[in-house]
Amino acid sequence: MVRLSRVMLKEAGNAIDKTLSEILVCPLSKQPLRVCEKTKSLVSDTIGVSFPIKDGIPCLVPKDGKILEEDGDASKAS
Amino acid sequence: MRRIDSVYGRVEILKRVLEKPTKQSHAFSASRSFSTEGAYGGGGESQQNSSRVKIFDRDLKRRDRAAWLSRNKNDTFVDAVAENLLDRLEDCKKSFPSALCLGGSLGAVQRLLRARGGIEKLIMMDTSHDMIKSCRDAQDDNSIETSYLVGDEEFLPIKESSVDLIISSLGLHWTNDLPGSMIQCKLALKPDGLFLAAILGGETLKFVLELRIACTLAHMEREGGISPRLSPLAQVRDAGNLLTRAGFSLPGVDVDEYVVKYKSALDLIEHLRAMGETNALLQRNKAKFSIFLSRIFSILNRETALATAAIYDSMFATEDGTIPATFQVIYMTGWKEHSSHPQAKRRGSATVSFTDIHKQFGGQS
Repeated sequence: MVRLSRVMLKEAGNAIDKTLSEILVCPLSKQPLRVCEKTKSLVSDTIGVSFPIKDGIPCLVPKDGKILEEDGDASKAS
Repeated sequence: MRRIDSVYGRVEILKRVLEKPTKQSHAFSASRSFSTEGAYGGGGESQQNSSRVKIFDRDLKRRDRAAWLSRNKNDTFVDAVAENLLDRLEDCKKSFPSALCLGGSLGAVQRLLRARGGIEKLIMMDTSHDMIKSCRDAQDDNSIETSYLVGDEEFLPIKESSVDLIISSLGLHWTNDLPGSMIQCKLALKPDGLFLAAILGGETLKFVLELRIACTLAHMEREGGISPRLSPLAQVRDAGNLLTRAGFSLPGVDVDEYVVKYKSALDLIEHLRAMGETNALLQRNKAKFSIFLSRIFSILNRETALATAAIYDSMFATEDGTIPATFQVIYMTGWKEHSSHPQAKRRGSATVSFTDIHKQFGGQS
């Protein structure tokens, strides 16, 4: 049962486990995040930034945030 | 529409757009209003959207700590601190189903936890991805459901009132904005939640004050000039203030000193480097000794390290030749306010006067 979170990451293809999805918010705006399956990232719609999920681990440091273009595509920020 | 290239710039827009002040917004402005004694004053040039002094290069810290973890799995000092912190969980009657563990000596906490505190869900967080990966790979106890995430204590990505316990063992003393980090921790806690932290105190390595002199001399000789290598560590008196100002209820502070004996000054310096307590100070080439409290955490290049050790040994060798180094650890505990906590009564609501108490317990003086 407890290995479920790792199993989910590998097999079910879910981006992050249930515990994290309930408590994670954007580090800057503290607003809820949206999981984007396509880009494997967590998107903060209020400020238009996406945070990557590397190797199944969400990276929510502001420096790792990518600014999303106005039309919704992700683009690299410096 | 003007393109904002900085993620932080986006937050500025957000703050202006939001008309209704929310509880979250004060987490950003708190760093302006805090001015505890010592190193937490708000002076210094403005960086991005806060007026706090940016002392630590957090990116440097991220890489270095991962390196430490891989090399030193059995650092007894670090384990002793983690053990002391976790022991406090047994003193509480409460159990903490969900716990957030903040970076520092994450590995030690995870390894030594052993089902204390009734923790069912553990979330491990650190600024370094490598560090988190090592923790995940090292996880050998599957009785607790553990999640991993990379995050910054100064920008805590945790929803308000969502965790029962926050532990940080030897990590918070490296934040640029300690009051702000503590406030965010308080917000993330559920009512009646517990905040447990161990940080290095300002008396650390005081005994080796002489080493600092030696270090200065060596550095001046080798690299021509003085580069600040000091780290603004909290004093015990600051700790209490920090807890109260962050809004914790029932704050508690206590201090422990660990004396570690080294065979030589070089061993001490090598251990400091291995512990990952490298100097992440940004202003490396400006002579600003006067700003910082006088404790050593240095990234000494090999030559300067050798020169320092030689000077120290020749000037200050003790009788039996060993170097005792004192690490002062400040343990802080605080609770998120809850109706069950004893509260101070409203002013003017006293029903017993001091005169009555004095009569009751007698005594002339």
